[in-house]
Amino acid sequence: MKQDQSISDEFLNAFVDDQLEPAEKSRAFDLVEHDEALKERVCELRGLKEKVQHAYLHPPQPAHTQKKGWLSGTPYPQALAACLLLVIGNMSGWFAHHWVGYGSDQEIMRSLQTVQRNDIGANSHKLMIHVGTSNQVRLKNALDEAENLLANAMHANQTIQVEIIANSKGLELLRADVSPFAQRISLMQEKYPALSLMACGQTIRNLHAKGVNVHLLPNTGVAPSALGEITLRLKQGWGYIKV
Amino acid sequence: MKILSLICRTRDLRKQLEQSRTKLYRVAFSWCHNSALADDLVQETLSKALKNVGQLRDPELLNSWLFRILNNCWHDHFRQHREMDDIDEIEDFRYANTDTPEDAHAQNQIVDRVRAAISQLPFGQRQVLTLVDLEEFSYAEVASILGVPAGTVMSRLCRARRSLKELLQELSPTRQTQQITPLRRVK
Repeated sequence: MKQDQSISDEFLNAFVDDQLEPAEKSRAFDLVEHDEALKERVCELRGLKEKVQHAYLHPPQPAHTQKKGWLSGTPYPQALAACLLLVIGNMSGWFAHHWVGYGSDQEIMRSLQTVQRNDIGANSHKLMIHVGTSNQVRLKNALDEAENLLANAMHANQTIQVEIIANSKGLELLRADVSPFAQRISLMQEKYPALSLMACGQTIRNLHAKGVNVHLLPNTGVAPSALGEITLRLKQGWGYIKV
Repeated sequence: MKILSLICRTRDLRKQLEQSRTKLYRVAFSWCHNSALADDLVQETLSKALKNVGQLRDPELLNSWLFRILNNCWHDHFRQHREMDDIDEIEDFRYANTDTPEDAHAQNQIVDRVRAAISQLPFGQRQVLTLVDLEEFSYAEVASILGVPAGTVMSRLCRARRSLKELLQELSPTRQTQQITPLRRVK
């Protein structure tokens, strides 16, 4: 029994899993042979191991799995069909994107999922829209949000202030050289003087450090850091939308 | 000749990848206990493996390389689903539910009981246990697949088997029967 206490569980596990060096293995066999309690522990561990193996011998197959693997058989007809579908998809996408835009249900759902509002109790006439991604759908979504707010306010003769704050990869929205919406932003600024743009100084410094020269769109302010600006605005009672 | 051998090697690797599907699926299922998710993970793993097959220098290491990709795919999956913050703390849905007669019957089956017990283990322990027991990987290979020290593999395995033993006793139908307090008429 004394030996049984001195042998650690780790050692016995390694013995059961055949992970011991030959010399240690011989010692283990010797010990197990002369100690009933140790033998019982080893049997228990082996039993557990076999139970685990037995439990997953036949895992349930997913409903749609076919007998043939996706890599097996002759892939050419499927590949041809896939290419054809891809071409049709691409062409329809290319011709339809101007009038469909991101208005497809899926895109709208995705955009809606990414919008988080946190303006309970905040002043609904002061809103900031935080952009932290370079995903074009989301950038467009941010501008649409801003434009809707500004247009509605203008229509209702209300005063509203909207600030777009961009940091991280979202800074691309406000960079003159890479922004995919430079012209639209310029038009929006002309139409809605209540729209302001703010870039994150921290992100600009990071880009400078990497050797990237950042040219911002006209009338874009620079905050020391986007998070600082957001915190300040929240304290001032601004509403916050993250896109 | 070089090109020919390269083509042959690629074809062999593709064949091996296809053969690995069952093994990968079994382990993925033992990690998540959800056949659809396991299938998706395996699909993703094989697609990544096929894409990066050129990175595999030693074909002997194919198996552990594939399971390393599976582990990465698993982590990626939960990174995308932020509602689960800490992967090591994930507790899957539990089988241990004896509310219905069907469930009670399932509890009696050893397979269901073992799966139920394994699904209750912390995820790190579950991974080590299934890689060692189902795929017979050495401790060093498991350490390399999961990117943890071999000592961690040993201690996780030890704790996993200890907990598994206790959980199987808890889920045992005989023990549950013993726990039921018989109704008595009180006058």
